[in-house]
Amino acid sequence: MSSKEKPTEVLDVRGEVCPYPDVKTQKKIKSLKSGDILEVLIDYPLSAERIPRSMEKRGHEVLEVEKKGTSEWSILIKIK
Amino acid sequence: MIDTTLMLSGLVVGIIFGFVLQRGRFCMNSAFRDIILMKEYTLLKAVALAIVVQMIGFHLMAQTEIIQLNPKPFLWGAVIFGGFIFGIGMVLAAGCASGTTYRVGEGMMGSFVALLGLMIGTVITKLGALAWLDSNLKSDTFKAISTGDLGVDPGPLLKEGSTSLTLANVFDLDPWIFVAIIAVVILVVLIWKRGGEETQVEGTLYERIFKRGWNWWITGIAVGIVGIIAFPTFKKYALGISGGWFSFLDTLISGDADKLNWFAFLVIGVVVGAAIAAVIAGEFKLRAPTARRLLQQFIGGLIMGIGAIIGTACNIGHILSGIPQLSLGSILGGAFIILGCWVTAYIVFMRG
Repeated sequence: MSSKEKPTEVLDVRGEVCPYPDVKTQKKIKSLKSGDILEVLIDYPLSAERIPRSMEKRGHEVLEVEKKGTSEWSILIKIK
Repeated sequence: MIDTTLMLSGLVVGIIFGFVLQRGRFCMNSAFRDIILMKEYTLLKAVALAIVVQMIGFHLMAQTEIIQLNPKPFLWGAVIFGGFIFGIGMVLAAGCASGTTYRVGEGMMGSFVALLGLMIGTVITKLGALAWLDSNLKSDTFKAISTGDLGVDPGPLLKEGSTSLTLANVFDLDPWIFVAIIAVVILVVLIWKRGGEETQVEGTLYERIFKRGWNWWITGIAVGIVGIIAFPTFKKYALGISGGWFSFLDTLISGDADKLNWFAFLVIGVVVGAAIAAVIAGEFKLRAPTARRLLQQFIGGLIMGIGAIIGTACNIGHILSGIPQLSLGSILGGAFIILGCWVTAYIVFMRG
């Protein structure tokens, strides 16, 4: 699990409320190619746990979930 | 006069409840909406388990005369209408009554605005401009169907004088038959469908309790236990959220401290407990979405408040506390909360 992979695109959903972080992430993923890496910046705890779960279920690879600060996370997803 | 001991007990139960809600991310709006929106069942499993734990706990306590079950009346017109619009409101508010309340403790201003809407919605529906709608939906046309109407016995575990319908008394069967069937079916499904959705558990016990989100089954059991503590503490009912916020605003407007009820202390406790949990976990942050989203959440909260008063309870009063008492009114109300949630989630998130 490499944590140094460079994201192809960054999606900032900080400030968004349930379930917009998840919906926007799903939408973004559809516009990306296989092998691309998406970084999601998020501050909503429920989605910070739910997004990695649902991405893995869809077959994408979650490279890293890093807590960056108070209620702030970065999620790195490698597209299937 | 305020019964100080009783009120303090509400605050303490509320703090525990808020802590559990925040750690478990326990929100029924997410639980039901995610079924259709993202085929995610994690929170739904927690809700189902909490219902089973409480159903067994409530019936054991009623059997041993620690409590008397107090199911809500079968006001079918009111719970159908109120439940449905409550479901609409919670999608727009981005959280159910309990989800909205615990997120205020996380510093989410959108939830704070939704909560203001909810409080206003409850007061205008119970006392103000919408009281006509509430009373019409509870008038003779939509009269509650009681055990007397069906010619059945209310059963031994209910509060004296209660004529509310339950699964047990309408079928004239022992409540334990339903408790056993429902518990076995839910537990079998949960065990069969287990795994794959667990939050990653790593770190020390302290970290797992205070720093990371809980697994669904821990959340479900914990929420269930809080309900089991709440019922004999308050005696008249188990957990509820919307009635507490109504009482809170009603007291502020009237200046009459006698209007403060147990639930008001409970909901204040929930905010405090969630804030404590969020601060310890490093998840407390004052934050706000866009103006457009704030407006949406306010309107959602308002609709939820209206729905909770008309429908005789919010998601907690019906689904978490009422269904475990096998209340038919709560089962119908809960079903329409879910229906309202699905219709709205489909229109808002899934169309096109």
